[in-house]
Amino acid sequence: MPQRTDRAERISPAAYWELLMNLTRREVKGRYSQSFFGIAWAIAQPLATMAVFTIVFSRLAKMPSEGVPYPIFAYAALVPWFFFSNSVASGTLSLVTYRNIVTKTYFPREIIPLAQVCSRLIDFSVAAVLYLALMAYYHVSLGPWAWTSLLFFALLMLFTVGVTFATSAIDVFYRDVNPVVQIGLQLWLYLTPVAYSLSAAPVRFRLFLVLNPLSAIVEGFRSAMVFGRAPDWQLTAISAAMIVGVFVIAFVMFKRMDKYFADVI
Amino acid sequence: MTPLAIQLESASKRYRAGRSRTLVDLVASNVDRLRGKDQDVHSAARGKIDATLWALRDVSFDVAEGAGLGVIGRNGAGKTTLLKLISRVTWPTSGVVRVAGRVVSLIELGAGFHPELTGRENVYLGGGLFGLTRSEIDRQFDRIVAFAEVERLIDTPMKRFSSGLYARLGFSVAIHSNPDIVLVDEVLAVGDAAFRRRALEALRQIINDGKTVLFISHDMWNVRRLCDRILWLEDGRVRAYGPAGEIAERYMNEVNLAALANQGVTLQSHRGGTGELRYTAIDVNDEGGRPVTALAQGATLIVRASYRAEKPIERPVFQVAIIDVDTGLVITTATSARSDSPDRVSGEGAVECRFANMPLRPRQYALRLTITDSHQLASYDVVTAGPRFSVVGRGLGVDSLADEEDGLVSLPFEFRHTRAAAAAPRS
Repeated sequence: MPQRTDRAERISPAAYWELLMNLTRREVKGRYSQSFFGIAWAIAQPLATMAVFTIVFSRLAKMPSEGVPYPIFAYAALVPWFFFSNSVASGTLSLVTYRNIVTKTYFPREIIPLAQVCSRLIDFSVAAVLYLALMAYYHVSLGPWAWTSLLFFALLMLFTVGVTFATSAIDVFYRDVNPVVQIGLQLWLYLTPVAYSLSAAPVRFRLFLVLNPLSAIVEGFRSAMVFGRAPDWQLTAISAAMIVGVFVIAFVMFKRMDKYFADVI
Repeated sequence: MTPLAIQLESASKRYRAGRSRTLVDLVASNVDRLRGKDQDVHSAARGKIDATLWALRDVSFDVAEGAGLGVIGRNGAGKTTLLKLISRVTWPTSGVVRVAGRVVSLIELGAGFHPELTGRENVYLGGGLFGLTRSEIDRQFDRIVAFAEVERLIDTPMKRFSSGLYARLGFSVAIHSNPDIVLVDEVLAVGDAAFRRRALEALRQIINDGKTVLFISHDMWNVRRLCDRILWLEDGRVRAYGPAGEIAERYMNEVNLAALANQGVTLQSHRGGTGELRYTAIDVNDEGGRPVTALAQGATLIVRASYRAEKPIERPVFQVAIIDVDTGLVITTATSARSDSPDRVSGEGAVECRFANMPLRPRQYALRLTITDSHQLASYDVVTAGPRFSVVGRGLGVDSLADEEDGLVSLPFEFRHTRAAAAAPRS
């Protein structure tokens, strides 16, 4: 049985936290350096998609938005969606992209996909600030349930990290994962109540949507931030259980695979 | 007894050779594992040859704290795999690898740097990869920058750095990260001679501070300067492990013997020229005409080259160049009409080029021999990769690090010091 014991591992958790912060900074700076608008690009993606959705779903398809202006209805779901989608899209490739340091230095490998997710937090925050501006523009005010958005943010984080751990680790061994993920994310957007509300979905699809943990998350953000009402607790509980399960399985899998990363990457 | 820094107990590392497995194989092997069947046997039974390669096999050795260990061997002997095991980048297939303390691996300098970020930002990024916190880097920052000599460029994006500067900053961050064990893999090939020298001195200082250095290099001279013991790997196994001087000598002798045995082959490869007049054998001899592969500094070197002409050639020019294996051309010599060039050659013959009191520094050298026409325009023969020889110094081992000279050649020199009568008052 291969084993390895180290008498003195002097690297503190603080140093690994520092490394996570540094890699996150590196990602963000690398992404926006030498661009004129810099970090402002983080709002372009949800804003442009919001415009397209408004035209296609609201104007053409007459999709109901439960009494609030459709643009803000869509935008409140697009912000967490793009956080998830962008994190997973770049996170999947992250270990392979960083193969230089994976094959050359030792540190807990989960820092690399984590840094990808953390770097998207910057985009998330910038896009969230624009949401506040939209609230003012459409005269939507924060309701008493706004605090539950913190809960949904925690679930979003946990799910995003879990999925990214799984896809990035498998991508090291089988590069097929990346195209599957990129295509899958495109479909996933429409299988999540982002452009429409869960209640507007036909009943026969409802069960399927409930099995998608992101449904509860985007619906939860919308309840908290747009409608100012309590979330669907039953749906939230089911999703939370699934999310914790996904995270634990993904993390255990990641830690079992990570000692072979340098050999096969 | 000094505590151990590194301990390997019959550590082996196996890599799968050839293509990566496909998803189908993965599913199949996992199914087998769930059924409790031995994977390798089964896949062999299915007719799928799972070709594997043992990069390291049954490697056991100890390194005491504060030691310098040289790791030598031919390409593919497992040196880099060994470093990867010790740096925890990869895991042994079987056996035990024990490491005491923080390991910093200089396998590729500046691997964690991002070209869009400035030197300053990359120092923090790279330091973080080596396990330093921000405040620790703050304390070391000036020293890191000063050692790499990149003060002027520190706030410039790294993409504007030359590759040498890039590596210098990487090296500097690594050695300032307070490691217990430093792994060095041929990285000293980068940078200019002055930086290489300072890098070696820094590594020497690390050993003096009681830290451990593992040093992979093909440059026996540097290995001997830095290390007191050498581990010689061959085909993934330990060929020899012992005092640096003794092992280096054995290794050099064997490498040189192999080179001599292959000299016919060597002369054939990298061969140019029209071929009307060719060298048939090239020997490196000492003053007494005996073939040698290593010479003492200041000794006499005689290059003896036999030739055969396919047809009579008028006034050919024979050239012998000495090339420093690491840094390039040292000198080109040629026969000249005025003195020693034969007017006409035909059939077989030999020329000898004699370098008396050779002032070359202790390093590895190769010979390049050519034969051209009298105007040195057309080449009859070009031997790009001629025989090699090494020059050995007088003071071997670490003492010579304190040499007061460095560079390619030793020239007689003498300093004189004049003191001004009195400091002139400023007016």
